[in-house]
Amino acid sequence: MEETPEAIVRFEHITKRFPKIIANDDISLSVRKGEIFALLGENGAGKSTLMSVLFGLYEPDEGRMFIRGKEEKIHSPAEASALNIGMVHQHFRLVLNQSVTENIILGLEPVKRRLGLFSPIDMKGAQEKVRLLSERYGLDVDPKAIISHMPVSARQRVEILKMLYRNAEILIFDEPTAVLTPQEIDSLLSVIRSLRDGGKTIILITHKLDEVKRVADRCGILCRGKLVGVYEVKDISTQQMASLMVGYDFETNVVKDVHPLGKESLSVEHLSYVDFDGVKKVDDVSFSVHQGEIMAIAGVAGNGQVEVADMVAGLLSPASGTVHFNGEDITTVDIRSRIERGISYIPEDRQEVGLLLDFDLATNLSLKRYYQSPYCMKGVLHKDAFVKTGTELIKEYDIRSSEGCATRVRSMSGGNQQKAIVAREISMGGSLMIFVQPTRGLDIGAIKTIHERIVAQRDQGKAVLLVSLELDEIMELADTIAVMYNGKIQTVKAASELSANQVGEYMMGVHHEA
Amino acid sequence: MKRKGDGCKRAMIRLVGVGKGQDIKTALFCILLALVAGSILLLFLGKNPLLAYKSILQGAGFFPKARYAGHRSMLTDFMSLLNYTTPMVFASLSVAIALRCGLFNICVSGMMIASGFIATVLLGYSALPAALARPLVVLVGLASGAAIGALIGWLKYKYNTNEVVVAIMFNYIISYVVSFFIQTKFVDPTTRQSLKIGQNARLTLFDQPVGNLKMEIPLVLPLAVVCVLLLSFLFSKARLGFELKAVGMNRKASRYAGISVGRTMVTSMVISGALAGLAGVSYYMGCFASIQPKVLPSLGFDAIAVALLGNSTPWGCFFASLLVMTISNGTTYMASTLGVLREIASLITGILLLFSACGAFLKGEADRFAEELEEERIAAVKGGRA
Amino acid sequence: MNSIVVDGMAFSLPLFIIAIGGIYSEGSGITNLALEGFLGFGAFSGGLAVALLGGAMPPGTSMYLAFLMAAVGGMVFAMLHAVLCIHFKANQVISGVVMNVLSSALTAFLANQINASVFGKASNKFMLEVSPRITISGLSRIPVLGGFFTSVYPFEFIVIVVALIMGYILYRTPTGMRIRSCGDNPQAVDAAGGNVARIRFGAVMVSGALAGLGGMCFAYSISTNFSPSIYAGFGYLSIAAMIFGNWRILPTFFACILFGFARSGGYYLVTKLELPSSYSDLVLTLPYVTTLVLLIFFSRSNRAPRALGEIYDKGKR
Repeated sequence: MEETPEAIVRFEHITKRFPKIIANDDISLSVRKGEIFALLGENGAGKSTLMSVLFGLYEPDEGRMFIRGKEEKIHSPAEASALNIGMVHQHFRLVLNQSVTENIILGLEPVKRRLGLFSPIDMKGAQEKVRLLSERYGLDVDPKAIISHMPVSARQRVEILKMLYRNAEILIFDEPTAVLTPQEIDSLLSVIRSLRDGGKTIILITHKLDEVKRVADRCGILCRGKLVGVYEVKDISTQQMASLMVGYDFETNVVKDVHPLGKESLSVEHLSYVDFDGVKKVDDVSFSVHQGEIMAIAGVAGNGQVEVADMVAGLLSPASGTVHFNGEDITTVDIRSRIERGISYIPEDRQEVGLLLDFDLATNLSLKRYYQSPYCMKGVLHKDAFVKTGTELIKEYDIRSSEGCATRVRSMSGGNQQKAIVAREISMGGSLMIFVQPTRGLDIGAIKTIHERIVAQRDQGKAVLLVSLELDEIMELADTIAVMYNGKIQTVKAASELSANQVGEYMMGVHHEA
Repeated sequence: MKRKGDGCKRAMIRLVGVGKGQDIKTALFCILLALVAGSILLLFLGKNPLLAYKSILQGAGFFPKARYAGHRSMLTDFMSLLNYTTPMVFASLSVAIALRCGLFNICVSGMMIASGFIATVLLGYSALPAALARPLVVLVGLASGAAIGALIGWLKYKYNTNEVVVAIMFNYIISYVVSFFIQTKFVDPTTRQSLKIGQNARLTLFDQPVGNLKMEIPLVLPLAVVCVLLLSFLFSKARLGFELKAVGMNRKASRYAGISVGRTMVTSMVISGALAGLAGVSYYMGCFASIQPKVLPSLGFDAIAVALLGNSTPWGCFFASLLVMTISNGTTYMASTLGVLREIASLITGILLLFSACGAFLKGEADRFAEELEEERIAAVKGGRA
Repeated sequence: MNSIVVDGMAFSLPLFIIAIGGIYSEGSGITNLALEGFLGFGAFSGGLAVALLGGAMPPGTSMYLAFLMAAVGGMVFAMLHAVLCIHFKANQVISGVVMNVLSSALTAFLANQINASVFGKASNKFMLEVSPRITISGLSRIPVLGGFFTSVYPFEFIVIVVALIMGYILYRTPTGMRIRSCGDNPQAVDAAGGNVARIRFGAVMVSGALAGLGGMCFAYSISTNFSPSIYAGFGYLSIAAMIFGNWRILPTFFACILFGFARSGGYYLVTKLELPSSYSDLVLTLPYVTTLVLLIFFSRSNRAPRALGEIYDKGKR
């Protein structure tokens, strides 16, 4: 008689809504005890939301959750922890100036004697316990090491130890390999395997299909908030997974003429970037963009695309490599000079970077040319010039605001803020336009208009570098597509040579060589 | 439960305001709170608060006193008030311009001592004619303050030092070094302060006969007003003012817009230092004629209160300075007529400072309440329709 | 020669206990420029207690009442800074300056008022009993080191004991560990179930108590009274020592010793070389100059607690 393996976590019709979107739409799935379960999906598919429900960060609007067969409502991470559920987040919660052991015992400090305020911490005992846990699961962590001296991969293992110290039986990993090198990924996967062998249940939130293939038993695929299905990993190929994650047919909304490409405008050679924690986010990236070409960089968030765009625009300094614009080496040129040479940039973070929220709309619409005539003459700003340009752009781009040019940008809706940035950058008239997520937060009508403008710019002979997380936007607009995964470019091909599914595969690392 | 909270929310919004008038309303609210707190204190001491406040205004020259000494009148009291307000205006402008750029200038006291001392030594004991000496004093004051400001700004730019701690260190180093020089070379043995400067270099005319009155005439008060106007122009219309405000609001976005953040911060400290230097010379070579060694003028710290109260705007600083100095000057008369301690002035100013510091919080809460009430209203309308 | 050690220790130890207060507060993430105000208010509280009750106490004991009340007074006053920074989310630098201004204004007013109303005299001071000084006869005869056992104020012992206790709590107990964690990553403490606001509030109160105690020590050793001259910048000097000591107790101790001995050594040199006393002012700049130099060369590596001065918003995830 075959026994169905017991479900240690079961979701029944879980629905979670946010103001503009249904993050989880009637999801029912179960995770078996002792398995490694991968939760797959693109950005915004609902994977993190579902796990946040499990971990007590959100409460579902509808549906029920069963842990070990018993219905539970989890209101906080503390309650989740009491149910032996632990989560390793993408952003670690570690105290850098303290040791591994101190971080692990924070909140549960063992004391040698109960003396109230003066109870001494039993550091030796805790260190021993940490050492034993570390050895048992092959984590190789020194209990006395100070976190700030440890590389990111080691810090991640401290987060794992934190969960094990609290007797977590169900371990959730949120995109754990985003910050690791290939060798470190191998170590982590073997740690995950030994955790499973030790009787733990692992839930892996990821979009990296090759890793799923290497380590997961089953996978659940989410697409736009809905569960597409649960599959045995050995029975499904990465191509199939990718197409289910991406999963729909769309038609091109915008008609594009095919133009011959002009001269080379932007050339990026062997660009690399290492971030503050020492993680190599961009690894030897090279490509070029021509006049009259829309080059789109596709990829799941966090694979280095934004850093590439920042380096071209001058906001980040590359660790190595060069950037050439119209034949000139601009690698060390400052931001304003790049703007003056004709580089427009729509950044990823519209509120913190793209706009000065407490200034009015007219000022923001001319934010990069405020110092030039006619906006500024002899050191004095001329408000009428700002208002004139502002009024024109508001009309042309249909930017809605409560008081027109005088509106404080902070009070505008996200969509209109985005329109304002797009309006400004396109009206700067530069020859290279870098757009990161240009249509984020916009409705269908606005998206179509912006797409038409981008194509119009390209028809006028501008070079466009588009970084987008929306695959359909990429397929619609791109002449050439480059896909980034783990900081490297996986492929660069003409758009006509790639199908959406193929791009999706590259985005998920299907053709990725370790 | 929601109903009860609504009343408080509405009251808060009324008092503190939302949107455009918020800054002035908040400032007035803080002043009101401080006056109320002061009244409670006065009542506790058995004094009539209204009489007390009236006597402050009399002492400051806003109301006539019952009797005046020879050659004195309400006008002379008022001129005296203006005289002491002048350094405070410069000092609060100094703090305000740094604050607008996101920096703290805690070194105003030190800059004042430095500029006062350098001008004293270079010009205070010279025999230059007044028409030459006085403008030079102003220039020297400006330059010394600006130099120190430049140094603090440059250190922050080049070495990423915390400008607050650097400023505190500078305050004491300057204080001790100047004290050393005063006591070794320029000391007046009877007063233990620096030797009195000559009238030719003095920026305030004392006991100046005008009609049958004898009054103080602060010669640099017009300069203070000019500074207020210049800064007002700077922030509203000038390119530099725009860049200062932008950097103060959001360094990342300013960088993205092509603004040189480091250079802007240094510029703001230079201007701030120059203003602090002007405060120094108008204080040590205007209101007073000598420097007391090893004392950091409290004006430099009270100026922070004034700048906060004035919401870091030029005219706000001007009127807040006037208010604080009114309290300071007027309490001497109050002390003599009502028998209340002089020290109550600095206490009320301290309380005013306390409430001003909460100003940002009050504004934030008022905004939040307004948003909540608006959302409730929309929900109620929608619910009504359903 | 002994005077360098004797005067040095008498200055260094109160400075040290104030600096420990700073370490607690800034270690938990709250910038504390208010130590100057706290020490003044503490000295005021202790002086007031002595003025009111000292007569009724046996001779020699009023001093201990003063220290106790100084710590209590400093702690209560510090609660204002805590409320402003934690609950009203005010800018911590501004709050610190506000505390200092308010403390000097409040103590000046109250001292004058209480002297006038309760004692009927016009004075802004509270007189204290002259503190006894203890000399351990055997040890004090050792050359050089004997200075450490000569003419010691009783408060020096109190400071040493309190410092040891505070050091133990900070580095060996769960409470101390959580305080230190709040200053680096309050989210981590929150995730571990700690109440960041409560921990920080407690840390600021501790800083008030310790600064108050230190202020009282200065009142006894420097002028044997409470007066407005207690605000001599020692609070800022202790901040300099704390920065110099990299926000850790033991290095800060050495920094305080350095500052204290530089001061007493300077005075000694000036008397010995028969220079006018104004030269001692130059010596007094040494602690500030060295801290400045240290800041310049080490600010790039940013050794301050990571979350220092940042307003913690629990809502942000």
